[in-house]
Amino acid sequence: MNHLATLTINGPVATLTMNRAEARNSMSLDMLEAMHTHVDALKGSECSVLVITGAGKAFCAGMDLKAVLVELSGDATLGGRLLRSLAELTIKIRELGMVTVAKVNGAAVGGGCGLSCVCDVSVSHADAKLGFPEVDLGLCPAVIAPWVVAKMGAGRARAAMLKGGIMSGAEAAAVGLIDHLAEDREGLDTLTDEIVERLASGGAHALATTKGLLNKIDGVVEAGMVLEGAKLSAQVLGTAEAQAALSARMKPAK
Amino acid sequence: MIDVRAADGVTTITLDRGEKRNAMLPEMLSAFESAVRGIGEDTKSIAVLGNGKVFCAGFDLKACAADETGETMRALLTGLSRCVVAMREAAVPVVMGVHGCAIAGGCAMLGGADVVVADEGAPLGYPVVKIGVSPAVSAAFLMSSIPAGPARALMLDPGLITAQRAFAIGLVHELVADADGVRERTTELARSLAAKPGVGVRETKRLVNAITKGTSDLGRDGLEASLSRVGSDEERRMLGALWGS
Repeated sequence: MNHLATLTINGPVATLTMNRAEARNSMSLDMLEAMHTHVDALKGSECSVLVITGAGKAFCAGMDLKAVLVELSGDATLGGRLLRSLAELTIKIRELGMVTVAKVNGAAVGGGCGLSCVCDVSVSHADAKLGFPEVDLGLCPAVIAPWVVAKMGAGRARAAMLKGGIMSGAEAAAVGLIDHLAEDREGLDTLTDEIVERLASGGAHALATTKGLLNKIDGVVEAGMVLEGAKLSAQVLGTAEAQAALSARMKPAK
Repeated sequence: MIDVRAADGVTTITLDRGEKRNAMLPEMLSAFESAVRGIGEDTKSIAVLGNGKVFCAGFDLKACAADETGETMRALLTGLSRCVVAMREAAVPVVMGVHGCAIAGGCAMLGGADVVVADEGAPLGYPVVKIGVSPAVSAAFLMSSIPAGPARALMLDPGLITAQRAFAIGLVHELVADADGVRERTTELARSLAAKPGVGVRETKRLVNAITKGTSDLGRDGLEASLSRVGSDEERRMLGALWGS
């Protein structure tokens, strides 16, 4: 199962790659569990930077819709378990004593976009597609909302999550969802390498101390809002309205 | 002074005192609040617009200066706070279209909106310290929308900011070319929000309100602070200097 996400370590820099390219790295329970295992392995490591990215064209297309649509999964509890796993994973990533970088190589949608917000620094390119289309599917991005608010500021997060839809990498950079923007996919590797090299030049303890303080100031983990959010997301997901909207969305794909 | 109409799941509330740049009077604000609180079951989103050349130039200062008792100013500050809280507390999202300008009380209205569209030429800000009035009434809402640094500068510095700057600090979420564009885009957005499945939208708004520490409580201290300056020598002098000539 571990192949669903891979971890490579190169000196002070670790790279966690979501590896379900055929499903645009959408979050299945198995993939989330693989990510948990790798992040657990990083706790207390010597690394000072963690890069999170996706294999293939997408960064992460969000929740695995096949798993959360009950008529397909046949398991009404799966959505809730997935959301809980995502909530715990994001808290774990936030609490890592190293700088985390989201290398948004392509689509970062819903939970995938939320994952980029958990990271300390986000890098992408002008043509990437990002956003929170949860409301378009009758869902509520509660599980990631605290991270989105902390990243963009409440006003912008409010507008982005209520409007739904998808924006370009360039638009995402204009509203503070992305910190560094490459012109195109080709330029993203070089740009990310430069940023990672610069981050890794910092003292590991200085970075960890600073990050710990920033976490304390924003208070997201302590507030318990992420786990509460997972419950709220699951509750909305279970409504007939949401299941009907999801079902309608999946139909053209069948 | 307020025009309210419902269609396609959207209740559109329009400031309708265009000949006075939609300058706010107490009865206008109470009508606005009632319109927000009174939306029907079939309303899925609210659009807020202004008629005439500008969205809103703020309180009707002529009426404030003429009222020696300070009651008009007090009623306006209280009414403004109630309008912003009503928008925040509305179960459905509020899309606000700002054309021309949004000054002082007009700019404060942005604090209640979930999505703000503005035209590129619209100046915004709270130049009220110039007339001895404190914009504290807006502080809580502003600081729960944009970062503290820009919020501080915006309330303490009586200068206006450009729409581009407002976009850069997150006070405005979309820029369009002109006034017609503002009306079109605001209506389009409100309709698209109304067309989405309702539970997700309502829960998302409720959740962001919860993360940003509720609504009514937030504004109370600010309103008290603003009210405390009303009728002061400073305010009477500065307001009088502006309107006495």
